Amino acid sequence: MAALVRSRSNKRAVRRAGDAGRRVEYLAFVLAGETYAVPIARVAEILRPPPITEVPRAPVNVVGVTSVRGKLVTVMDLRRRLHLAEAPIDRKTRILLADAGPGEALGLLVDEVHQVWRLAAEEIEPSNVLGGEQPPHIAGIGRPVGAAATILILLDLRPILESL
Amino acid sequence: MVEGGGRDGGDKARDEFLSEAQELVDGLGRDLLQIDESLRKGKVDAELINDVFRGVHTLKGLSGLFGAARMAGLSHELENVLDDLRLGRVEISQPVLDTLFQAVSLYSRILSAENGDGEDPSPDIEQLLLSLGQLSQRQAGAGGAGGLAQYDLDPGLLGVLTEYEEHRLRTNVQQGQNLYRIRVRFSLATIDSALDDLKAKARPHGEIITYLPTGSGADIDTVELEILMASRASVELLRSAITGPNIGIEEVRRRSGSVLPAPGQAATTPPPITEGDSSPPATRAFEAGERAETGSLPALGPPSPATKPPSLLPVPARARGASRAGGHEISLRSVSQTVRVDIRKLDRLMTVVGELAIVKTAITNLAERVRGRATSARELAAELDRLNRTFERHLAQMQSGILEVRMVPLGQAFDKLARVVRQISREHEKDVNLVVTGAETEIDKLIVEELSDPLMHMIRNAIDHGLETRDERLGVGKPPIGTIALNAFQKGNHVVIEVEDDGRGMDPEVLRATAVRRGVVSAGEARELGPRELFALVFMPGFTTKAVATDLSGRGVGLDVVKTNIGKLGGVVDITSDVGIGTKMTITLPITLAIINVLLVEIGERLFAMPLASVEEAIALEAHQVRNIEGREVLTVRGASLPICRLARLFGVAARQRERQRAFVVIAKVGSRRLGFVVDELVGQQDIVIKALGKSLSSVKGFAGATELGDQRVALVLDVAALIEEVLAPSDSRFLSPTAEGGRA
Repeated sequence: MAALVRSRSNKRAVRRAGDAGRRVEYLAFVLAGETYAVPIARVAEILRPPPITEVPRAPVNVVGVTSVRGKLVTVMDLRRRLHLAEAPIDRKTRILLADAGPGEALGLLVDEVHQVWRLAAEEIEPSNVLGGEQPPHIAGIGRPVGAAATILILLDLRPILESL
Repeated sequence: MVEGGGRDGGDKARDEFLSEAQELVDGLGRDLLQIDESLRKGKVDAELINDVFRGVHTLKGLSGLFGAARMAGLSHELENVLDDLRLGRVEISQPVLDTLFQAVSLYSRILSAENGDGEDPSPDIEQLLLSLGQLSQRQAGAGGAGGLAQYDLDPGLLGVLTEYEEHRLRTNVQQGQNLYRIRVRFSLATIDSALDDLKAKARPHGEIITYLPTGSGADIDTVELEILMASRASVELLRSAITGPNIGIEEVRRRSGSVLPAPGQAATTPPPITEGDSSPPATRAFEAGERAETGSLPALGPPSPATKPPSLLPVPARARGASRAGGHEISLRSVSQTVRVDIRKLDRLMTVVGELAIVKTAITNLAERVRGRATSARELAAELDRLNRTFERHLAQMQSGILEVRMVPLGQAFDKLARVVRQISREHEKDVNLVVTGAETEIDKLIVEELSDPLMHMIRNAIDHGLETRDERLGVGKPPIGTIALNAFQKGNHVVIEVEDDGRGMDPEVLRATAVRRGVVSAGEARELGPRELFALVFMPGFTTKAVATDLSGRGVGLDVVKTNIGKLGGVVDITSDVGIGTKMTITLPITLAIINVLLVEIGERLFAMPLASVEEAIALEAHQVRNIEGREVLTVRGASLPICRLARLFGVAARQRERQRAFVVIAKVGSRRLGFVVDELVGQQDIVIKALGKSLSSVKGFAGATELGDQRVALVLDVAALIEEVLAPSDSRFLSPTAEGGRA
């Protein structure tokens, strides 16, 4: 079965290579039991949480600052940002170092990092399938072909990074 | 160039020439080092010599293009030698390499002179041209020299005589006077009176023709002069007449050991002669140019091979070159201020500039709309606010980008040091094995430039005094070739550079005794000093005199200068040594100059840094002295009121709970406003590199940035000025806020 899935997606990849459509790689991670995913191109690095220094009077979503190889990184709690229940940092907790443009380094605190999915355009449902008006950071729903049980909430990082 | 902004086109082209030439010269140095290395192994790759040849050829073309006659002349002659070398007409050997290395250091000095600093290297060029001419064996017999040729006078010295001095010299020689060379070392502070004094002593015995600095062995506050004097007196008589400290008098020998020429005969010897057809064209053109400038003595140029065997010449020439190099290579700094930059770094900066251009356009549009009154004030404010934030973000990117561009690998300085090591080891006839690690470590360009000279001093010291001679080493069972290790690595916000030798080391007890004898410390103080402090004594100014250095079997010449210069860069030098095993000097430097000295304080369980520049003092907080005046907590310090601010409360951090509530007040002053910040603990002082908080925290007031403390912990740096402003703001609103109210129980 797995082999079949692989060969089918490979064929699709080959066929797709010719036209404009291309597969985008998404990094899947867990927040409060749900699986989210962001384009991996926006993630520079996955880190185990180093000691984080709290910044008094900082916006509520900011956990604090830390230093990654001499570079100052502001760490944001993605749970708080998405209005999810808070959880303590444990051994599965990771920081996604997001590419927020030059000069700025942002780390996103997530519960756990899963895997990378390569999604074709037809594997992504627009966010309006959820009905009504969705917040701008929801980019769509990913439904990887061949993994029926998997639902990925695709996030657009830009509004998240810009509105701390 | 750094200051390139206001220059015109010609200067810009000139800067480019200097920068390109400097790179070529640096490249030559590297190639020669490689040849040196392969020569030691016994086989020289012909391609290496070809590389040098091509480099010199390019330099020649370049300098011709820019009318740098001195460089063109030198390049031309050098090219001849290299051509002979690569065609096998002349065999490559260490003496030949010595001359080539001299050429490289001379190039650097010419570049400095072209750039308007450094003294005129022309005399040395002339001299080197002679050596080169001899090497290439193109020197055909020149005409006979003047009466002076019989004296073993240094062409370099003669080259700088004024016409009058030259005339006096000739006259004296014709009169059959003896020539004396007096070397005397003056302290810079007293040179004027001391020189007059010496002149007065010399006058009854003869005539002082000229005096000029030798540039050799001088440390920072003394200068050695070479005085040329003509006198009928004997050397013994002069020695007894001209007395004083640091004076050496010797007679200038006659080369052929011949008797004085009859005055008449000498008088008939015509001055200029050497410019026969035999002289290489470039040399001639070059010399002609130089003469116009310096008024030097043509006749004393290339001495006739007939009057003395060619083998004699390279010896004094080299010795002279070497001793001069000691003085002139006082700086290894590049003439060029250029930084080579990875294009990607520039691309990133360019992107930021693009973003800034967009912001500018938006502001222009906004101004248009305001003029048309199409926008409400509220919208306008929001728009401006947004633009301002974008602007700030890009500005910060620009700043950090430029800081990055300034970073260069330390290897730039290390390459030059390798050349110095070779030169010094040849001078002292000590074989040295230089081992370099961490040349790729990056540091601010400015620091690299300022670092070259202190490092050179340290290495010179290590070879001079640290390493034993070959025989001494064999005697104590060490490998015959001494090793000097140059290690660099990054450590937190600092770069560490170690200069380590495996020489004889220093004995702390000898240092202790010498320090007392020299009056650097009192006997009582000396007893208190531990080994570390004793080693640190070598950086004291009192330890720099040569006599002491020899007493101590080393260490001392100019090390105080090293310490001062490193200190100026915000760095420190440390020294450790084991007798018989070696000495290690460690320089610790900030990566960039964006370094500040802070006081680390604890509030609750957290560390914060306060820039010491704005801290006046720290005192223990006596709770009973705190009074409430108009809702403000005020402390009485030495009879004056001092408003205080409890940082734990201001920051909403839980203050530490202890049985005995102890706290401190850090009194800060910005402008005329003073405020006491109440903290739980004073941790200590530290030098830190301050880094800006990201844009996501730009709305947080009261912090200037953050810093890494070395153990991966990050401490926030307080923006003292902003905090004082905030706390002492005329509005009382803050004191009505729940936190402030609630805290004042």
